[in-house]
Amino acid sequence: MPDSPTSTEHLVLSLTQHQEPLFRYIFSLVPREADARDILQETSLALYRKFAEYDSTRPFLPWAYRFAYLQVQKHREKSARSPLLFSEDVMDLLASERTHIEPRLDERLRLLDTCLQKLTAQDQELVTSRYAMRQSAEEMMTRFALTRRTLFRNLELLRQRLHECVTHQLQSEGLA
Amino acid sequence: MNLDSLIHAEIDGEITPEQHAELENLLRSDWQARQRYLELVDQHARLLQQPTVNTGRLQKATPKRPTRRWLPALTAAAAVIACAFIFWPQHSSETEATSNGVAMLSQTMDAKFTRGSFRSGDTLKPGTIQLTQGLAQIEFFSGATALIEGSAEIEILSAWEARCLSGRVRVHVPPAAKGFLMHAPGMKLEDLGTEFALNVKDNTSAVHVFEGEVIAHTAAQTPASLKQGMSLSSANTIPASPQDFLSISELQGLVKQRDTQRFADWQQWSLTTCKDPRLIAYYTFKHLGDDRWDRLVKNFTEPRHPLRAGGAVGAAWTQGRWPEKNALEFKRPGDRVRLNLDGTYQALTFACWVKVDSIDKKYNSLLLTDGYDNGEPHWQIYEDGSLMFSVMYRPAEAAKNAKYNQMYYSKPVFTADSLGRWHHLAVTYDNTTGEVIQYFDGQPVGREISPLHQPGRPIVFGPCEIGNWGLPTQGHRFPIRNLNGAIDEFAIYSAALNPADILSIFQHGKPE
Repeated sequence: MPDSPTSTEHLVLSLTQHQEPLFRYIFSLVPREADARDILQETSLALYRKFAEYDSTRPFLPWAYRFAYLQVQKHREKSARSPLLFSEDVMDLLASERTHIEPRLDERLRLLDTCLQKLTAQDQELVTSRYAMRQSAEEMMTRFALTRRTLFRNLELLRQRLHECVTHQLQSEGLA
Repeated sequence: MNLDSLIHAEIDGEITPEQHAELENLLRSDWQARQRYLELVDQHARLLQQPTVNTGRLQKATPKRPTRRWLPALTAAAAVIACAFIFWPQHSSETEATSNGVAMLSQTMDAKFTRGSFRSGDTLKPGTIQLTQGLAQIEFFSGATALIEGSAEIEILSAWEARCLSGRVRVHVPPAAKGFLMHAPGMKLEDLGTEFALNVKDNTSAVHVFEGEVIAHTAAQTPASLKQGMSLSSANTIPASPQDFLSISELQGLVKQRDTQRFADWQQWSLTTCKDPRLIAYYTFKHLGDDRWDRLVKNFTEPRHPLRAGGAVGAAWTQGRWPEKNALEFKRPGDRVRLNLDGTYQALTFACWVKVDSIDKKYNSLLLTDGYDNGEPHWQIYEDGSLMFSVMYRPAEAAKNAKYNQMYYSKPVFTADSLGRWHHLAVTYDNTTGEVIQYFDGQPVGREISPLHQPGRPIVFGPCEIGNWGLPTQGHRFPIRNLNGAIDEFAIYSAALNPADILSIFQHGKPE
């Protein structure tokens, strides 16, 4: 346990600063928001407990990812019967390959913000409803007067368009 | 399904176990599939974390959080610290609202601007303001205040700096804003906490100090110190005598006159309106001196319907659109006005003047019936700032949890700029066409027909309330939906008023 306020403050700062990348890391292994948030909290707690062992001369994220990975494995064991979790070998592949392409993923996110601004009003409404307001499928079906199938088809097309837009931007910047 | 569709089904939680196995096999066998997966999932995670798309809606994430099993395991002290950082990051991932405003247009009087339309209460960004006529009072965020007479051209540089290009301006600088800089042709005025006036014409400037001290930097070697009663001109062509400048009390006097006039005009209109046979109820929120209990919200329709009077609960009397006009303020979870409206109707219009201070709940009540039975309307402001009207019709054979309310949303109308000011809201609904039109300040902001509409179903009210929702039944908790703001006029009609009617109501009642 951290014993001085400064180390707690340090951890709070590190966690706040790295909250988003940690969530993204966990979410790539367990792409279910509620579960990923649970795991993120367990990870935060584990980091809190072991923070005395952290060597502050080294980058925080790789250290934190190890804890996140362990928490993901714990979660997998607990819900071993769920047919919707990836096997350990696939998770290992994803986790290690992700660290390799992480700078590229970060670059993509930077461009994502630009692409979001270019969406049609209709698509922006969809993004707001799904992501900012966290409306359920049922609420969105009522709101946009869509069938479930069409709603998810639209969401899929929206995200595909965003992905294409980012790829296109990367190419025009000569980074792809 | 192809790889992409499988990935999207996975992140939407719409995937079947078979499809999941298929996706896993693709990921296991193909790096390009994994790369694609990682990119799409990362994009989704980002959207979940911070949607930055600018649609004018609230960018507030409200993820449903399961209960935390680990909390009891912690010591109390550790739990406090743990909560502090475990829950904090959730907030830090939200995008905090920002503004690049540096000043505020605090008051205007017959003001006309060449570019853009400004209204009092607007936040001003750095830029030029051209006032062709009238008066405008600008309050800089540093604390300095400028009173500008048309025609004038002022460039706002920051909260601490402005430039007068032409026209007359009177500046007041309180001690906190000491150092405020006013540029003018041929001089730069550094204010040491004072009141001075500036007259700029044909690229020459004249300044007069009413009070305190101003340092005038001119082409001369040493800056001049101007004290109370002193004047300085960059050329002898224009005078700077005190009587040339309007004082702040004169502006206040003019504003007061205008308010009195607007209020009198509205009263006149209101006396005619209350005889409209389409009115079910008409509340003008007049605070009656002879009401000893102080809670009566009188229904002013003529002929009279005293049984449709409202009863205020909690809500306190406050000032309405003008100093002479009363309003009721809704702040606390219990604040409301109780009504009981009899009858069955084929159409309705709600029209009200409201000053919303904050949209701080998921649903912010305007008028709702107590329960939500067939034919009952609910009118609220949704958390994203849109107007939300709904009518409940549940078929007899309907499943218990299925939703059958017809819901209509306007585009978001309450944003940082429209909060804290008086606005006119209206909604019309016709049970034949099923069309719902919502209005904001006289203009339609939503027009919709629900797919669930069936013609001819009656509208009823019964017990209902303004500014809140529902009487708690014994032992039950109730959702907190009280309005955070004030209402100073509320009309309920038995017909769908047309757009011209709504515009006319707005024109006759607008504050300035």
